[in-house]
Amino acid sequence: MTVTAASSTVTLDPRRNVPGTRPGFSSTLQSEWIKFWSVRSTTWSAVMLFVLGAGLTALICATNAEWLASSEADESPGSFITSGMTFAQITAVVLGTLAVTAEYGTGMIRATLAATPRRGSVLAAKALVLTGTLFVLGTVTAFAGYFAGNWFLDREGIGLALTDDGVLRSMVGSGLYMAGLGLFAAAVGLLVRHTAAALSAVLALVFVVGTMAFLLPGAWGEWTAKLMPGNAGSPIAAPVPFNPELMAPWPGFAVFAAEVLALLAVAWVVFARRDA
Amino acid sequence: MIDVAHLTKQYGAKTAVDGVSFTVAPGRVTGFLGPNGAGKSTTMRMLLGLDRPTAGSVTVNGRAYRDAPAPLREVGALLEARALHPGRSARHHLRWLAASNRIPVARVDEVLGLVGLDAVAGTRVGTFSLGMGQRLGIAVALLGDPPVVVLDEPVNGLDPEGIRWVRTLARQLAAEGRTVFVSSHLMSEMALTADHLVVIGRGRILADCSMPDFIAAHAASFVRVRTPQTGPVTDLLRAAGAEVTPLDDELHVQGLDAAAVGELVGDTGLHLHELTLVRSSLEDAFMTLTAASVEYSARTGTDLAGASR
Repeated sequence: MTVTAASSTVTLDPRRNVPGTRPGFSSTLQSEWIKFWSVRSTTWSAVMLFVLGAGLTALICATNAEWLASSEADESPGSFITSGMTFAQITAVVLGTLAVTAEYGTGMIRATLAATPRRGSVLAAKALVLTGTLFVLGTVTAFAGYFAGNWFLDREGIGLALTDDGVLRSMVGSGLYMAGLGLFAAAVGLLVRHTAAALSAVLALVFVVGTMAFLLPGAWGEWTAKLMPGNAGSPIAAPVPFNPELMAPWPGFAVFAAEVLALLAVAWVVFARRDA
Repeated sequence: MIDVAHLTKQYGAKTAVDGVSFTVAPGRVTGFLGPNGAGKSTTMRMLLGLDRPTAGSVTVNGRAYRDAPAPLREVGALLEARALHPGRSARHHLRWLAASNRIPVARVDEVLGLVGLDAVAGTRVGTFSLGMGQRLGIAVALLGDPPVVVLDEPVNGLDPEGIRWVRTLARQLAAEGRTVFVSSHLMSEMALTADHLVVIGRGRILADCSMPDFIAAHAASFVRVRTPQTGPVTDLLRAAGAEVTPLDDELHVQGLDAAAVGELVGDTGLHLHELTLVRSSLEDAFMTLTAASVEYSARTGTDLAGASR
């Protein structure tokens, strides 16, 4: 590495400010967009999301098509056409967590808040970049999985048309649920500020505790289970859910969205007051 | 111009910064000196609106940092060197910062050249040495061409050439009329860089004066005299009001300057073999000043020997 000669290091005029207009929310958004896409982990997670979501859907449909077409089948093909997305959701959680905790892990949050002291803007821009990306990526992946998986189902004569009940909704719903999960993970990340802690908390809550909650006894147990974020939010992402006890797609998603926004509000209050 | 007024920061029961007031004026380098844990970084974090003061205030050019519409164009700060994502390139790091304050992208390459990192602009910063990270931090500080520059321990991890470069840079920025505020725990570094000194220890201001005033007030000096006629010379100097301390074959004289001692002794016909003005180093002065306020001090060699026995 060479060093610039001392005599040529500074040729700045103190009375000249760097030209430019007053930055607004669009500047913060652009900044967060550059930040989000300029690390490899984002590209890798996005690729993994697509490969897992579309690839596993195709694989699961391919291996189950014959059984589904047989008289022994006790599941609907509609449960299988977005089945790979369940695994892709893990990468959405990873992306959401890292978008926040990577800044705390490296101390970069201080550079961020020194550049944009309006913390609400920082959080809003982060949330928009994350949810926008995950919604588009989730929807595209769900469509890819549908076309790949349906090819195998079609061969057995049990294919689903895009116009069939709930199919198109489950494609867009996959994008919505991905975006919601990412935002949920980001909010948890903002609260705990540690990658490992945030990741394990969200993954455990959504994928383990949610399933185990169905073991709870009585009516309150049943409703606790139904209202768990993963259980309430996931029906929108499948034409026919595997679990018949889950809430209906749109009411369930409304519950999930409310939970995510409530957690995000708590995270925002903490973030706005806390020392960086 | 930075104005710190009655600034206090408490973390639980611990007071990190305790009612601190001082001003950092433009056109000169103000050194912010103190041992580790004295409250330098906490003060700087409050200056940048990162930490909320428990009491008091700090303003930059008359307003709180948080109220600046484009803070990077008003205050450039070097925070701790590793406030970077290791997987991002130097150029991308500067680009997201530039975007946040609507600083033209052309300025990114300009500052990369300025700090000598243009050749590694596309390299992930995780591969950077401590010194290169520090240079990138300085590029961040200069990105918005700000009238106020705040550098927290800028020479940490730099090689001698880099240290000289930072020193020259700080002086040049000040000469251009900017407000330059540099923290360090090294008195020797400050002595070469700063025009004005704010010394902090245990969260309190111990000194706030110009560098020459600090030297005059805190760097003790005495006149070393060697003479074959120790007794008569001692009596003579004491009679003239000086404080004389004999040490081996030397006399340490305080209260009279070298010229006065020479003339006094010469008038009586006594002999002098040596007449020297001795100044204790600034490092010594700083150590003396902050001795009571050092948070963690090493045990002496004898203590360690005793403990290991």
